[in-house]
Amino acid sequence: MNIRNIRAIARKEYYHLIRDFRSLYLAFVIPLLLILLFGYALSMDVEHIQTVVVDHDRTPESRDFILKMAATPYFDIVGRLSNTEAVIRALDHNQAILGVVFPPRWTENLKADRQSPLQVLIDGSDPNYAGNIRAFMTAYIAQQNQSHLVEFLNRQGRTSIQTPVEARIRVWFNEDLESRNFIVPGIIAIIIMIVGALLTSLVIAREYENGTMETILSLPVGSMEFLLGKAIPYFFITLTDVLVAILMGQLLFGVVMKSSFWLMVAASSIYIGVALCIGLLISVKTKAQLVANQMAIMLTYMPSLLLSDFVFPRENMPLALKGLSMLVPATYYIDILNGLYLRNLSFAPLWLDFAVLTGMLLLLAALNIRALKKEGM
Amino acid sequence: MRWLRVRELVRKEFIQLFRDRKNRPLLILAPLIQLIVFGYVVTTDVRDIRVGLIDHCRTTESRRLVDAIDGNRTFRILYRMEDPRELDALLLKRRIDMGIRIPPDFSARIRKGKTARIQILVDGSMSNMAAVRISYITVLLERFNGQLLRDLYPLQLHYGEIDGRIRTWYNPNLDSQYFFVPGIVAILVMLLSLLLTSMAIVREKEAGTMEQLIVTPLKPAELILGKTIPFILIAQGQMIMVILFAIFWFQIPMVGSVPLLFGATCVFLLSTLGIGLFISTVSKTQQQAMMTNFFFIMPFIMLSGFVFPISNMPLFVQWLTYLNPLRHFLVIIRGIFLKGTGFDVLWPQFLVLAALGAFVFSASVVRFQKRLD
Repeated sequence: MNIRNIRAIARKEYYHLIRDFRSLYLAFVIPLLLILLFGYALSMDVEHIQTVVVDHDRTPESRDFILKMAATPYFDIVGRLSNTEAVIRALDHNQAILGVVFPPRWTENLKADRQSPLQVLIDGSDPNYAGNIRAFMTAYIAQQNQSHLVEFLNRQGRTSIQTPVEARIRVWFNEDLESRNFIVPGIIAIIIMIVGALLTSLVIAREYENGTMETILSLPVGSMEFLLGKAIPYFFITLTDVLVAILMGQLLFGVVMKSSFWLMVAASSIYIGVALCIGLLISVKTKAQLVANQMAIMLTYMPSLLLSDFVFPRENMPLALKGLSMLVPATYYIDILNGLYLRNLSFAPLWLDFAVLTGMLLLLAALNIRALKKEGM
Repeated sequence: MRWLRVRELVRKEFIQLFRDRKNRPLLILAPLIQLIVFGYVVTTDVRDIRVGLIDHCRTTESRRLVDAIDGNRTFRILYRMEDPRELDALLLKRRIDMGIRIPPDFSARIRKGKTARIQILVDGSMSNMAAVRISYITVLLERFNGQLLRDLYPLQLHYGEIDGRIRTWYNPNLDSQYFFVPGIVAILVMLLSLLLTSMAIVREKEAGTMEQLIVTPLKPAELILGKTIPFILIAQGQMIMVILFAIFWFQIPMVGSVPLLFGATCVFLLSTLGIGLFISTVSKTQQQAMMTNFFFIMPFIMLSGFVFPISNMPLFVQWLTYLNPLRHFLVIIRGIFLKGTGFDVLWPQFLVLAALGAFVFSASVVRFQKRLD
């Protein structure tokens, strides 16, 4: 291996990049856009659920139920309607997502020790969102039931009775329960795939399309040198993106990495290496930019977004896809990100992730060299 | 305008696309694989909660609570231990989602009519799921409380229970595939038409064959048609394939009108092909074109209500989403697929989509022609 050869290839790729100013510029703008989008605009947390109520009961009890409901962070009462049909209309026109209907004699039934139905309508068209609403509403009703019992006992003169069991809930790793705290770090994995793998997937295919690959093959350049030379400029671009993303997450959104910065750089470097190797391998194999690009989206971007525990939990996947997700490098990188950002872990509990990523890197590099050798390099 | 020339250009485009063996499976398989993966993956349901438990009390009451947790379908007690530090370690290693600690004075306090406090530690890293897990344990504890109270004070308690009859409209079983599969169809159509159009045109520029096309008697309008028609056809073809797959594999009922769906797709393609053309006018290399595509694709997908609910976004961003053609197409495709809504309800979306498409497409055509001259 000759350092001069590597430098020459890297310089050629660097000139390509510099001359193609806009690709370079987009390589920095897209990550910024993603961070801003995910940080500001996108949230997985369900709060301020638009709620309409119909109160046929009109008692202090039903009013109390509604008032306490509005006092939680989850429900916003946006309207009081006169009948169930109006609720359905509100759901149809997306003016509300949740409707609560108190039937007549609701309190009377409660006081007479009977089951007292409360009608709850949820717009289920977004099932994830609706599932959350259902859980919150069930919990709220259970809380109300329980406090009714205690109040009743107290009114009977048993003032010494308190709620028997109370939970002291403490949330760890993401104390304020903000989805931003896990999405902003996760987006780094996506950025690396977009910039690292998608950009490089075109690099060697371009040489084939323009006919310059023949020239390179005839040069005294080894496959390892060629690979490194092609990868190095993109490595630094992607690493810069990662650093910018870390900084933006911290400055704009207060998403702070708790663990060691250098551990983060090490993990990111290995993962960037994996991304570049996948991109280059696709490029050698397809030899056409259009196809390479489609392949790269399929093999890198999509799996990183979907199969990696980024926003969609792996525990919910069918077994086959769960197995597939073990082959996705982003799975391990996102686990590392989770550990470094939220759990303040050191290297020791994460060594397996590091080992798997390093193994992938070596394997992919070997596959690349074999593919290049086959081309006659 | 000579149709013969357009036809020949379309033919050339098809030959170029399918000449390479590797392209053929890609065009067919790629959308199907994406559909399958998306269909199964995009759900944030809380199906089971892995629990680590410490019972310092070990009395009838505490065992009753443990049984209540164990008997619940959602909760799965995986570890029982004595040492709180073990619980912390399990949470740190992501082996459990929730740690529950019952204090030694648990039953003593209950018997005295006081409140016994149990400690619950929740892994909050996926905040949306953590919030649901918290409400599940809340429901469990409140029901447990209700039973305890009724058992402790059987005679005095005459108070009914609120029976929440929760119904989810439009998607009674909260089946996430019903919601996402039609959405994926929309996204695949967009991805394909955008990427293929822009990159196919830029490829000619990069290879220098654009010059040759310009010196042929092809008129600009014919060139544009010849370059977009193949992708309209491919996009519609893929649409048919994906819809059939959605119906037969995922068993999504297609309750609405099929012609209306194709009409909607054509209107939607106007926008995406327009943007594709635009990207081709501003890009010199395919690398540039691809990056510019992503610059459009990412915000389109993220701000469409596909995964992230629009109602969760800041108000300003919510207004921005009205400019996103994908948002309107999603409303149409989900409406037609799931609710069977017709043109009488969906016409505002059609109107906006057509207006957006007409604007984008004509602006791009003008720009494209200028570039040719």
